[in-house]
Amino acid sequence: MNGALLVRVLVVAGAVVLATAGTNVAAPLMQLPVPPDRVLQLALDAPRLIDYEGTKIITVLRNGHAETVTAAEFHKRPNMTRLEYLSPEDVSGRLIVDDGATAWHYEPRLNLAFEGPSLNESLLRGDLSLLHRNYHVTGLGIEEVIGRQACVILLEPNGPGVSRELWIDQATGTVLRTEERDPSRGVVLTTYFSRISFSLNLPAAYFKFRLPAGARVFQIPSPSEESASPEALGRQAGFTVLVPPILPEGYTFNGGAMSRFGSLTSVDLGYTDGENLLSLFEAPAGSIGAPAFGQDVRVAGRPARFVDLGYFRVLIWEERGLHLTAVGTMPTDTLMAIAAQLVSDQEQALAHSVSTQVAVDPEMVSRLRRQGLTFPEIARAVVLSQRLAVDVPTAVQFLQGTLSTAQLAQSLGMTPDALQGTVRDALNQASSVGPHLPAH
Amino acid sequence: MTLNHHRASQLLSAYLDRELGPADAVAVQEHLLDCPECRRAYEELQVTKGLLGQLPVAEPPAGFWAAVRSPGLARAPGAAWPRLIFGRRLAWASAAVIMALVLAAMPLVKGTIDRLHASEIGVDLYVRQHAQAMGSEPFTDRAYLGLTTGDADLVLAGDAPPAGAAGR
Repeated sequence: MNGALLVRVLVVAGAVVLATAGTNVAAPLMQLPVPPDRVLQLALDAPRLIDYEGTKIITVLRNGHAETVTAAEFHKRPNMTRLEYLSPEDVSGRLIVDDGATAWHYEPRLNLAFEGPSLNESLLRGDLSLLHRNYHVTGLGIEEVIGRQACVILLEPNGPGVSRELWIDQATGTVLRTEERDPSRGVVLTTYFSRISFSLNLPAAYFKFRLPAGARVFQIPSPSEESASPEALGRQAGFTVLVPPILPEGYTFNGGAMSRFGSLTSVDLGYTDGENLLSLFEAPAGSIGAPAFGQDVRVAGRPARFVDLGYFRVLIWEERGLHLTAVGTMPTDTLMAIAAQLVSDQEQALAHSVSTQVAVDPEMVSRLRRQGLTFPEIARAVVLSQRLAVDVPTAVQFLQGTLSTAQLAQSLGMTPDALQGTVRDALNQASSVGPHLPAH
Repeated sequence: MTLNHHRASQLLSAYLDRELGPADAVAVQEHLLDCPECRRAYEELQVTKGLLGQLPVAEPPAGFWAAVRSPGLARAPGAAWPRLIFGRRLAWASAAVIMALVLAAMPLVKGTIDRLHASEIGVDLYVRQHAQAMGSEPFTDRAYLGLTTGDADLVLAGDAPPAGAAGR
């Protein structure tokens, strides 16, 4: 299915969502009673405070066409989830039980269970620092969703990427409905509860997986738990890991890991803007071939393969003896531009340019590159360290979200608001010196 | 020299073929003159030898000499064993070389199979890991992540076609 058709289908689905959710789009929205940042924080904290069970409807591109999937979703605070998929037929009966440490996926028609890492990693340590830095947060007002008052919050990225609308239950902070919009294709994912009930205490036994008699267990390979730098990962994997030179505004290195599946050894570098993620997987070129499906495209004149999975997009190409796979939600052109930067190999020229523009030792630039930082990220960290009179590693920690605004403000003897103002000025200065991702 | 009857009868065939030394030949001749029984035996040997000389010489069948000259065939027992041992060693050596080649080729074959398999499941493997990592982003929908990782699990287990293969 092409993008236009998907958009049409999702628009229709969105209309159905609105109708079933009882939203009156023509009526003016009531103003939010609290700032949108407070509502977002409420939504971030909610899973740690309440239990609920409900029926969720998901509309997304799947198996080549837009599909509506229904699931019973159970949540027990702080980080346990049970998902029972009801329809369509090919997922009917699928069960996912996540106790916060391990996620079990059971397929009854195969009597096969998959054991993998938990999907609920963010529920205990969620942080909105990066999101606030890289997204424009707008409170659109109050709407009624399944008979409940919901605060509507719009998250728009400062750079290219998917924007997200959240309908957050005013009473509990639970996200009742989401809609994700791609700038080039419109709505790409919608989810909403058609029914929900809140509980003080769902039974814990409901969130413990019991292996059915005779079920086979398939162990899902999990990446190494400890995040590592590209340099360290390269030593483990036995090849030189390529670090993307330029990513869209705001994306920062989130960590690297190595994984093995059979004889395939891959390194994964993650970059986040606080809400969306770009993953770059690298493996020796000989260890994996290009998939037989997808579209043939060219990246800086080199052959590449693009696979559009609807919500996620995948770009595959080879560079300097490595098989590279980029996975993310960002627009196709942006994904292609990122790949083109890697192919063009302007490492030395960019390193020289950044060290000159922000007046920093070239060795520091090289060291930060080996740690996985992009050139714009290095420029931001250096300028911020100069403005705040802190060392570069502290500025990097702050930019990557491992050091909060409150912590840094306290250590500097500043108010958080004053710090935020200085940070904004520093980031604007860094942005003006570049480098920037060119339009593809 | 005088021969007794037993000894003389043993030398009759050699006397007939003129294979005896002069002294033995004279002694056999003197015995034949005195012994009618040895004379009769000598005459019978002469007749038999005459008959054998009249038999035609038979030609060997085609391929006989080639077969005789080939290793391990039509050899005297004492000479066949080294040939047989050598042949077996050669066979073992050949088998060892073939086995070594197979073992050397196995990583290549396995590598090719792994590469083909990896190219089929690679997208789903990476999409699954990406979806897993998305779990660390705030407000990511868990039911959608469960759907995506669940679909990828089936591909990795070989029970479903790759995600991008359908409808594209």
